[in-house]
Amino acid sequence: MTCREMDGVINLRSGSSKLPPEAAEHVAGCECCRRLVRVLERRPEASAPSESRLQQIQAAMLRDLKPVRPLAPSRVYLSAFALIFLVVVAASSLQLGANGWVVLSVSQKVAVFAVLATSAGLLALSMVGQMAPGSKHAISPISFLVGILVLLLLVMAGLFRLHEESEFIPNGLICLKSGLMYSIPGAFLLWLLARRGAILSPKLIGATAGGFAGLIGLTVIEVHCPNLNRYHILVWHGGVILLSALGGFALGAAVAYLGQGRNDRIP
Amino acid sequence: MRRYQQADSAAAAALVELLSPKLYRFFASQLGSRADAEDMLQDVWLRIHRVRHTYRPGEPLLPWVFAIARCVRVDNYRKRHRISLREMGVDVLPEPPQRKDGTSDLPSFEELVGALPQSQCEVLTMLKVNGLSIEEVARATSSTAGAVKQKAHRA
Repeated sequence: MTCREMDGVINLRSGSSKLPPEAAEHVAGCECCRRLVRVLERRPEASAPSESRLQQIQAAMLRDLKPVRPLAPSRVYLSAFALIFLVVVAASSLQLGANGWVVLSVSQKVAVFAVLATSAGLLALSMVGQMAPGSKHAISPISFLVGILVLLLLVMAGLFRLHEESEFIPNGLICLKSGLMYSIPGAFLLWLLARRGAILSPKLIGATAGGFAGLIGLTVIEVHCPNLNRYHILVWHGGVILLSALGGFALGAAVAYLGQGRNDRIP
Repeated sequence: MRRYQQADSAAAAALVELLSPKLYRFFASQLGSRADAEDMLQDVWLRIHRVRHTYRPGEPLLPWVFAIARCVRVDNYRKRHRISLREMGVDVLPEPPQRKDGTSDLPSFEELVGALPQSQCEVLTMLKVNGLSIEEVARATSSTAGAVKQKAHRA
């Protein structure tokens, strides 16, 4: 057994449980691993909080103890987020029209909206996981968010071609404004649901919710905007989701800052 | 936990008695100061009380509790950092703590983890002091089992 393999054994070992024979043999011959095992076996003294503090804690909790309704199952929130997504996109199509949908080829429609739907589903899952502390995450929330943004941009870059565009910025600003006009109310509806959960990291859940709201805005302008210029889509359509995620992050940071200020003032 | 959510005061008291030693050790092994650890213990119970509705019956309890504890520890660290930036120390530096066992040349667990980055220190403390499994630590830190193993290996 090598020291590297010994690391794996130490990591998986609980407490002072017996070492496997090969690990014990390695420890007998390796001074470095022997010292490490001895230090980890010498766990900190079993210390306990004072009885008076425990009583203080119990008294504070019992003072306003009322029954609470546990958080609804994840599928309820996932369905609610999906409903918000569909309702806002449907409402926008009625208002703005579906010129973008008409000009897309079949393969572009399938690719774009499949990626958008999958990304929205994954971000919704991440949000639901963040609402309940200790939830299982297949991928860490921040990696999820960044990964989805990168995937979307790569797919868009691959699906669309470069075209000449005379008024790149004015056209783009119109799209950006339209997208944000629908992602903001979407974000508000999401916040109404997400606040029911435990907001342990306001910045992270803000960025995730902002990203989801940005996907709503992006879907709206993909349905509405007939401009298939690759740069237009990457910069202005992609800009909707990026700005929404950043906006969500900034709001989360503001909430965290206000919370800190309140806690710092408490003696 | 279910009875606590239904406002059973005996269940609330029992939870505090059962979980406080684990939580206290989590804070104490990373802070060293008994007073600070007790303050954070009080903070974490206030937060647990506020968000008790977010525990879903049937889910493992320890990852839920330690996810909240971790958040309290991070907030406390940031608060101490903000305060230290505003304050200027004028007192004499405290003497380094004496080793209890003068004959041992082994570092203590706290000294060992104190030199590690926060994320590795936290993972090692949960695994070795609090006895959580890799899966439970992954849930508590909003991470994956692979990432937890990697941090433990690096530590």
